[in-house]
Amino acid sequence: MSSRGEQRRQARQKGSSELTKFYWILGAVAVVGVGVVGYSVGSDALSAAATEPIDLQGADDVSRLVQLAQGVKKGDPDAPITIVEFGDYQCPGCGAFALSVKPQVDLAYVQPGKANFVFYDLPLVSIHAHSFLAARAARCAGDQDRFWEYHDNLFRTQAAWSTKSDPTPDFLDYAGVVGLEPDAFETCLNSDRHAEVVTANMRLAEELGLSATPSIMVSRGQGMARRLNGFDFQTIKNTVDGMMEPPATPPGN
Amino acid sequence: MGEAEVLDTGAGADAPAPVNRMVVAVLSLVGLFVAFYLMAHSFGWTGPLVCGIGECETVQSSRWAKVGEVPVSAIGFAGYATLLGLSVAGLQPGRRSSRGLGLLLLAGSGAGVAFSAWLTYLEAAVIHAWCQWCVTSAILITLIFLAALPEARRIRGGGDAR
Repeated sequence: MSSRGEQRRQARQKGSSELTKFYWILGAVAVVGVGVVGYSVGSDALSAAATEPIDLQGADDVSRLVQLAQGVKKGDPDAPITIVEFGDYQCPGCGAFALSVKPQVDLAYVQPGKANFVFYDLPLVSIHAHSFLAARAARCAGDQDRFWEYHDNLFRTQAAWSTKSDPTPDFLDYAGVVGLEPDAFETCLNSDRHAEVVTANMRLAEELGLSATPSIMVSRGQGMARRLNGFDFQTIKNTVDGMMEPPATPPGN
Repeated sequence: MGEAEVLDTGAGADAPAPVNRMVVAVLSLVGLFVAFYLMAHSFGWTGPLVCGIGECETVQSSRWAKVGEVPVSAIGFAGYATLLGLSVAGLQPGRRSSRGLGLLLLAGSGAGVAFSAWLTYLEAAVIHAWCQWCVTSAILITLIFLAALPEARRIRGGGDAR
């Protein structure tokens, strides 16, 4: 009996010792886990970079929204035709447009002063996680008068940065590629600068019923803008040339 | 009357702590942190996910990342927390041979494996993108299920299983 009692006591001690070891292991895993996750969440929380649309005060008022929304213009502001693009830096179609079609548009219409080109941001944030930050990055480059260089570079390098979990280091590298002052660019990127205008551009696109990118619209003077069904050069050319032709004179006049 | 049934009444205080439940507890705690990290991202508490392998953002921003309004990661967090609680409870003197806890551990981890298999199928065949954290979680829940398998013997009343 006493022998059995002794065995039970030893078994209890052994079990208790095993449990103590187990709690030490569990505690160590908990400490490491809290450290790693806490650092990761905390460091991101400390970053002030706006990566998503913000709340816009008064955006329900269309006239206020039109004031807040601002495109980036290229070409002669007095040109008779205006070509507008609503684009997303993470959208492959926008990349194709920026790298293949827009250079032709520039050559045929913008450089000769026949049309000016305006780019509005339309980051499709539900499917393109980095598009809002990319839009802000381009506008930060615009603060140093390098918007279009940075814009084109973002599309050229789209495949590289868009699949990264955090494209910020790439965006900072591109600042050097296009000759930006790096500290000022980094300060801008790690803030909420331009978040308001990018958000306003998104809301404006919603008001216009635009949900796909690139969306191209063409207008003459203060006339109604015409939304194009495609974004190939021929479609744009046909529309712009058609708008530039003088209106047919009625017979007899 | 089987031994396990007797031990269910509390007579199992002297049974050794089941190693398989310790393994389940440790793996569940690791899974809890993985799920918390993904959940923190889905609730906007953190920035872009650290994702050395795969396309975590593509997976996490897909419509499959939520069940209704509930992020999948939150379901995972609740699941791992439950498995952790059950396994630690099953290590306490008097509960080490509990068939009820064994059944819950086996059924819970089995359901987790099934849910995880469905999510892995979605990544491979529907989303066409992989998230390293989701794959890590799938591996963890599979290991937890394997570690919980000895519970089947305990449930059948076959005595202690290590």
